[in-house]
Amino acid sequence: AAAEPWPENAALYQQLKEEQILLSDNASSLAVQAFLQMCNLPIRVICRANAEYMSPSGKVPFIHVGNQVVSELGPIVQFVKAKGHSLSDGLDEVQKAEMKAYMELVNNMLLTAELYLQWCDDVTVEEITHPRYGSPYPWPLNRILSYQKQWEVRRKMKAIGWAGKTLEQVLEDVDQCCHALSQRLGTQPYFFNKQPTELDALVFGHLFTILTTQLITDELSEKVKNYSNLTAFCRRIEQQYFEGHEKDSSTVAARSSKRSLLR
Amino acid sequence: MAAPMELSCWGGDWGLPSLHPESLTVMAYAKFSGAPLTVNTVNNSWRAPKGDLPVLVSEDIVISQPAKILNFLRKQKYNADYDLSAKQGADTLAYIALLEEKLLPALLHTFWIEAENYCSVTKPWFASKIAFPLSLYLPGKMSREALNRILLTKGGPPLYSLTEVEAQIYRDAKECLNLLSKRLGTSQFFFGDTPTTLDAFVFGFLAPIYKVCFPRVQLQEHLKQLPNLCRFCDDILTCYFRLTVSGHSPAGQDTADANLQKLTQLVNKESNLIEKMDDNLRKSPQHPPRKLTMLKLAAGGEESSPMSRLSP
Repeated sequence: AAAEPWPENAALYQQLKEEQILLSDNASSLAVQAFLQMCNLPIRVICRANAEYMSPSGKVPFIHVGNQVVSELGPIVQFVKAKGHSLSDGLDEVQKAEMKAYMELVNNMLLTAELYLQWCDDVTVEEITHPRYGSPYPWPLNRILSYQKQWEVRRKMKAIGWAGKTLEQVLEDVDQCCHALSQRLGTQPYFFNKQPTELDALVFGHLFTILTTQLITDELSEKVKNYSNLTAFCRRIEQQYFEGHEKDSSTVAARSSKRSLLR
Repeated sequence: MAAPMELSCWGGDWGLPSLHPESLTVMAYAKFSGAPLTVNTVNNSWRAPKGDLPVLVSEDIVISQPAKILNFLRKQKYNADYDLSAKQGADTLAYIALLEEKLLPALLHTFWIEAENYCSVTKPWFASKIAFPLSLYLPGKMSREALNRILLTKGGPPLYSLTEVEAQIYRDAKECLNLLSKRLGTSQFFFGDTPTTLDAFVFGFLAPIYKVCFPRVQLQEHLKQLPNLCRFCDDILTCYFRLTVSGHSPAGQDTADANLQKLTQLVNKESNLIEKMDDNLRKSPQHPPRKLTMLKLAAGGEESSPMSRLSP
């Protein structure tokens, strides 16, 4: 299976873009889409309400290539590498170690902060998350599913010590993470100067989603906007890799307007 | 200006000032930045540990997590990261995240979940440090919390049994150790010649794996195959911790300590240079004749057959 070429009908599954998908899942999905665009591998985005349950690991997005199903950015990067496409081959050992460390930083801080905001901040949960998460399902299933997911996420937050944090502390952490990313990026076009890598895809996915999603307040996106090189980075990648597909770019912009209708 | 600061943390054994990774991180940072901390190790007293250790108490302020304690020390002008560039500061955050995601689960597993390790080493040791009724409850609670943490963060599908999760976390931990080793290379500390926050964190996580004698030691064996990380731990132990477990060195010893530290660093640099010279010699063409003499000895008689096994 590794020796087969990339088929034309490869598909990426995520939840419904307009009504259902949440901030963190959107970020992960966009990161995978950006990565595949950077590798020049064509992929169709298919939206299904039950994408989370179809996924082998329970997390979106997942890709269906040939007869294989792979979910999450890490395993997808390895799968694509086995097919012979890799973005990080040109890096030396120390740079690869740095890249992995920065990817963990994004996962550890940005993704966890997004999850916290979505599921542990009561206002956001009531007004945005609960209505969106269960929207494809009839009552009472929609409430049951979203309460179940909320309970799961809160358990995880408690286990890693984030349950005791206040929103201000979480925003502080996001700021620290963006500061670190901004310092590392500096004035270069990509994190490892000339060529984009999976780190660029991951950072783009998260930052672009934070910048273009309207939540209750704008505090989260303000934290990212403080760093002009990060916003320029997001714009550059959007122009380079997403302008070609009219479908994608229009929905990327439409996403933010759709969210405001719910409030 | 400096209010007296007291750190309560778990004590140590097997040559370490503390067995607890977070306590060790804070102690190492205090040593690197020169903060005068009085370290109180939790021992068999009735002042039972409330919440999580380590805890820093300064006048009326009580701070409990390592990141917050380090922030507080930096605000008090005890800053080990003074010379770092902004990019190096960013790297520090990234590597700390890597340690927490990839190495910490395996560390927790080795200490608290691996049955032989837990029953024969960890539980008796921690139980001996806590007062009687709590010692029956607290180690079990710490073990359950560790298991919970690992299962919630790493244990989702497609890994369905604990053995698969264990295999995955040890793979991640070994990869993380390899990455750290490559990043450290041959330098003394991660960012040049003076230790910083990252060195404190790496030391805090690595030293317990390295020194504590467990019955099941797969992580320790992997670590021992990475000599630069072992050297890193030993250096910090000898330079900054020496024998004093209490961690409070009187003012008179300080200059002697500083001199000893400089001497040790010089000696280390010398030994690194000697190692490099050895490497160069080994790579140079004079090496093959050594092999020939070894073979001749092997051919000479049966009693020299062990030598033929040793020949390069």
